Amino acid sequence: MRIKLVLTSLLVTAGLTTGLSVVPLWAHHAFTAEFDGNKPVKLRGTVTKMEWINPHAWIHVDVKDADGKVTNWMVECGSPNTLLRRGMNKTSVTAGMEIVVEGYMSKDGSNKANGRDVTFPDGKKLFLGSSNTAAESQEK
Amino acid sequence: MNHRLLVSIIGLSGLIAPSAYPQAAKTNSTYTPPRTPDGQPDLQGIWNSATITTLERPAELAGKAFFTPQEAVAYEKKFAVDANRDVRGSNGATDVAGAYNQGWFDRGTKVVPSLRTSLVTNPPDGKIPYSAEGQKRLADAAEHTRAHYTDGPEELTLADRCILWRTAGPPMLPGPYNSNYQIFQTPGYVVIAVEMIHDVRFIPLDGRPHLPPNMKQWLGDSRGHWEGNTLVVDTTNFTEKPRFLGTTGKLHLTERFTRTSADAITYEFTVDDPAMFSKPWSASFPLNRSQGPIYEYACHEGNYAVPGILGGARKAERETSR
Repeated sequence: MRIKLVLTSLLVTAGLTTGLSVVPLWAHHAFTAEFDGNKPVKLRGTVTKMEWINPHAWIHVDVKDADGKVTNWMVECGSPNTLLRRGMNKTSVTAGMEIVVEGYMSKDGSNKANGRDVTFPDGKKLFLGSSNTAAESQEK
Repeated sequence: MNHRLLVSIIGLSGLIAPSAYPQAAKTNSTYTPPRTPDGQPDLQGIWNSATITTLERPAELAGKAFFTPQEAVAYEKKFAVDANRDVRGSNGATDVAGAYNQGWFDRGTKVVPSLRTSLVTNPPDGKIPYSAEGQKRLADAAEHTRAHYTDGPEELTLADRCILWRTAGPPMLPGPYNSNYQIFQTPGYVVIAVEMIHDVRFIPLDGRPHLPPNMKQWLGDSRGHWEGNTLVVDTTNFTEKPRFLGTTGKLHLTERFTRTSADAITYEFTVDDPAMFSKPWSASFPLNRSQGPIYEYACHEGNYAVPGILGGARKAERETSR
């Protein structure tokens, strides 16, 4: 299955097909290889820091379980360059903010997840920047 | 490797170009570019190649080389909806595979200004002319990847390992993000900083010969010269390791950079690799002026994906062997 998905992803990346409504699109690496589609996670917790690091930024978040035990999770986000160009900066996500993450758990069993959907408690999405350098340059 | 898979798909699609096609059209711009202090046409600045036009013509556009302006607008609108990465997959497998939300991408929103339906200009069907041998290479590479992708770090893709991005070039193609370039010129060199995985291309202009054939490089060995206002870059000495659509050490790449306005360079390239393609093929698209800046994409800085992918595979093996 993984290979099939990778193939599909690459097909899209190669530009061989467009117009599918939900298609995988391979970015820096295949999420299917790193995260487990059978292990969805929903994390609600408090940001401890955001690493603006290449190739992808990571948000660290403390998540408290029903027994009060706190576990620190890492959530994978887009590349710093792109996040900045899409309107995010170092003040967008700071320690102490509460966020909700829906994603999938790392296959290696560590407390990492991909940031499939990252929202604030009011439902506002984290990555809604409209800045787009390509669009700006093309629309001149 | 994944990029081997990528090319294998293209190859396996079995799309063979017509037997004859015209040579790549060369841009004849009437624009007179400014000059550098030493008199070269000035290509300097920060440029962006992002576009939603795909390298090859999509199957649903077979037989249609150009959009009408109305069709282009409709295509762009459809892309904005269909390519919205915030749309969830219908099950865990598809959802995790497509789990790059909009925050990951900077692909542009427009088709190329020529309204051509592919970046490939020749052959005219917009398809890369893989040879039977090339298709077999791709199929073999795909089979190898199926069996060995997570065996060890050496089997991960070049992009996984932050070595080389498949669209970073040369030839340089629009990618999902970081499709940015900064061009510098000195009396003896053109230098292109490629944002994606922060590669830098040094292109001597003094007519020196290429490196000896036994010296192979990931970015090849480039030599530049001016034909009128067009910078022509000839690149050989590529590594034998597949780094672009399965191409081999026989790859001979010719790129042409022509400033066509204050805010655009037309970039054209022709790929010739007799081990992969039945004939040379060409592509063209604009590099648009960007306000910049470009950033250092120090890709391996926090590349947790490598231990994540390999650690996941080892964990699965342990669980299977119990």
